[in-house]
Amino acid sequence: MNPILRITILFAGTLLFIVIFRLLRRRRFREELSILWLLVSISLIFGSIADLIIDPLALALGINYPPALVFLIFFFIVVLTMFYFSIVVSDLKSKNKELSQKVALMEYRLKELTKKTRDGSLKLGI
Amino acid sequence: MSYLIVIPAFNEETTIGDVILSIREKEPGMDILVVNDGSSDKTSEMAMIAGAKVIDIPYNIGYGGAIQTGFRFAVDYDYDYVITMDGDGQHDPDSIRSLIDTMERDGADVVIGSRFLEGNYRMSLARRIGSWLFSKIANVYTGVRITDPTSGFQIYNRKAFSYLSKGDNYPLDYPDVNIIMALHRMKFQLSEAPVRMIRKEGKSMHSGLKPFFYMLRMILAITLVILYREEK
Repeated sequence: MNPILRITILFAGTLLFIVIFRLLRRRRFREELSILWLLVSISLIFGSIADLIIDPLALALGINYPPALVFLIFFFIVVLTMFYFSIVVSDLKSKNKELSQKVALMEYRLKELTKKTRDGSLKLGI
Repeated sequence: MSYLIVIPAFNEETTIGDVILSIREKEPGMDILVVNDGSSDKTSEMAMIAGAKVIDIPYNIGYGGAIQTGFRFAVDYDYDYVITMDGDGQHDPDSIRSLIDTMERDGADVVIGSRFLEGNYRMSLARRIGSWLFSKIANVYTGVRITDPTSGFQIYNRKAFSYLSKGDNYPLDYPDVNIIMALHRMKFQLSEAPVRMIRKEGKSMHSGLKPFFYMLRMILAITLVILYREEK
């Protein structure tokens, strides 16, 4: 691999890692969601020396074209990420439903109470 | 005995007023609650003018979510029974008595209004096949003859609606044969009563590719209900 490319990937990985870490320290990124991105940044850092690992590994697995192994790994990561986010979305959807129902019921109760208070104060002549 | 009629409504401004007025005429002693499921038209105002209680959900959460909001309301305000009806005028208020009579006669917790027990209600072949298949599954599982599992015209006693008002006990979108099976699993008594329904054209949820996905989802939902029982 070209040394400039190697350094660029290493730099990108390190930068991503630092950015995520800073966001975490300022509590602007939820920990459970950040783990995935930290893993991405770490794999980028290792990606700068990937050819040294991938090529022998691909050969050992009987893959003639080593980049195919890289695509396979990426494919698995993307599928896993999507799966994880589907779980998160399902959970959010349930919580959202609960909240909207509670808000609607409370709004009704508030309207009724306001009406009652208004009627009451009118009767008292206030 | 206090009855609450729950009508989930999504953009029904043209029909909701008449539906409420016809119910009030037939059943003046019952409270009517319209659950406005994030309508963008004047459904909420029309329902209020017609004399119903109205709950406005901030955005559209789906038919099941709206019905469940009605169940929660009934729990909060101590109603004895909940009757669910559609806001498009499909359900004939004359049939409310039939539901109540069947509930008393059979001692059931939930009574499902069926359009097929009496009269001849016509519908498309695809829907007829789907409906037939799901009712067969429900019959085998519950041992009760359920001819119209997709019916939204039902009555629940307090035991049943308080159970369904909790968490994920009621599905968010379209409750179907899966909820009937889930109720049976939880040892609720089910029954069926003849009701009259007026066929409404062009407003069905079953159009385009939807029936296919709906069938798949329902098969999955049914499988989950059956598996849940075996795990217990």
